[in-house]
Amino acid sequence: MSNEAAKTLKAPTLSLDSWAVLTAFLLAALVRMGLLKSIPW
Amino acid sequence: MTTLDASQTEPGSRPGSQSGEQPVSMGDKLPAGTGGHLPGRIAGLLPGLALLGGVGILGKVMEQTINGYCKAHHIVFPNIEYVLWAIIIGLVLSNLVTIPKIFEAGVGTYEFWLKVGIVLLGARFVLGDVLKLGGISLILVVVEIAGALLLMLWLGKLFGLKPKLATLLAVGTAVCGVSAIIAARASIDSEDEDSTVAIAAILALGAFALVAFPLIGHALHMSDRAFGVWTGLAVDNTAEAIASGAIYSDTAGKISTLVKTARNAMIGFVVLGFAIYWSRQGLASRIEHKGAFLAEKFPKFVLGFLAISLLLSAHLFSKPQVQALGNLSKWAFLLTFAGVGLRTNFRKLFQQGARPLLVGALGEVLIAFLTLGLVLGANAIWGV
Repeated sequence: MSNEAAKTLKAPTLSLDSWAVLTAFLLAALVRMGLLKSIPW
Repeated sequence: MTTLDASQTEPGSRPGSQSGEQPVSMGDKLPAGTGGHLPGRIAGLLPGLALLGGVGILGKVMEQTINGYCKAHHIVFPNIEYVLWAIIIGLVLSNLVTIPKIFEAGVGTYEFWLKVGIVLLGARFVLGDVLKLGGISLILVVVEIAGALLLMLWLGKLFGLKPKLATLLAVGTAVCGVSAIIAARASIDSEDEDSTVAIAAILALGAFALVAFPLIGHALHMSDRAFGVWTGLAVDNTAEAIASGAIYSDTAGKISTLVKTARNAMIGFVVLGFAIYWSRQGLASRIEHKGAFLAEKFPKFVLGFLAISLLLSAHLFSKPQVQALGNLSKWAFLLTFAGVGLRTNFRKLFQQGARPLLVGALGEVLIAFLTLGLVLGANAIWGV
């Protein structure tokens, strides 16, 4: 496979912002579903 | 928004101007560990993450121990929040000890945790509050950005800075510090050396703001809300803006986050304006698709913050769940504050030359006065 073809097939990478939003939403979903109940502080 | 890894946000560690090495951009991605595959990369982050967690928890322990001791022995001592302890411990470590390279990648995730914390903080604001305070903030933000840009460009000219270095300093001061500088660097085709110097100036001044702003706020007996709006408007780097607010009080930290988020949302417009200006001068590439450029530069965590706030307003979360999300947000910020201290090395920052630092410092003082006037004015009109 040529380099150009490999580049085209390469999965798009997520930005730091997108990773942060996804992580926050995952945590929010876990809290909403009751899997993360009490978080001590 | 774009970010840097730990070594990049610590300009002295890869100073294009000092050692001949060019700063290497991580782009807009998570800092990677040392391994090539995902498990190896995650494993590479663990030492630094453990260090962030250790410093943060030590900060909490210091707060509780010292406050408890003073209370028990009736000693009058100012209540120093965990935020400041975490930053101080990080600063001591990064300035007195050489932190081994194995910790770098994990410490570099502090900006990731900052954004996670901001999105989760959306659960503490109903959408009505966001729109009300965000709306007022946007007016103040537009005035602040216009004033800061004009002032910094004028100071840059007055002190004979290179025009693109002055542009980077102006963008960093007006919008969101290091992230704005990195976003603008690529868009105006500036030299790496210029961005290294501008980042150094912004970081040095951010460290100073952590101490100076709370002291001034207390001296002026500012309310938590007014102080939060002020730091959100005046402190450049998002982490330092939120930390300055949180050092003052929990409420000030929340308000500072909201106002700073509104300020960050303007990054695309400011960078696009400068990109068009420099392209018309024939000194930068042309922007073909302005809409796509704005969408690319728009910070996605702002949308995440609004979405969580919308879910809260739709009563999707119970009271204990809101409490749990708030605490998760605090843990994310704890890692961020530890990272702020750990990545600040004063010796390296001051190696970058006196003139940009002087221009930055003068600009910051004037912008602090301008924004203080704006906040006091808004307080009189809208009761901020």
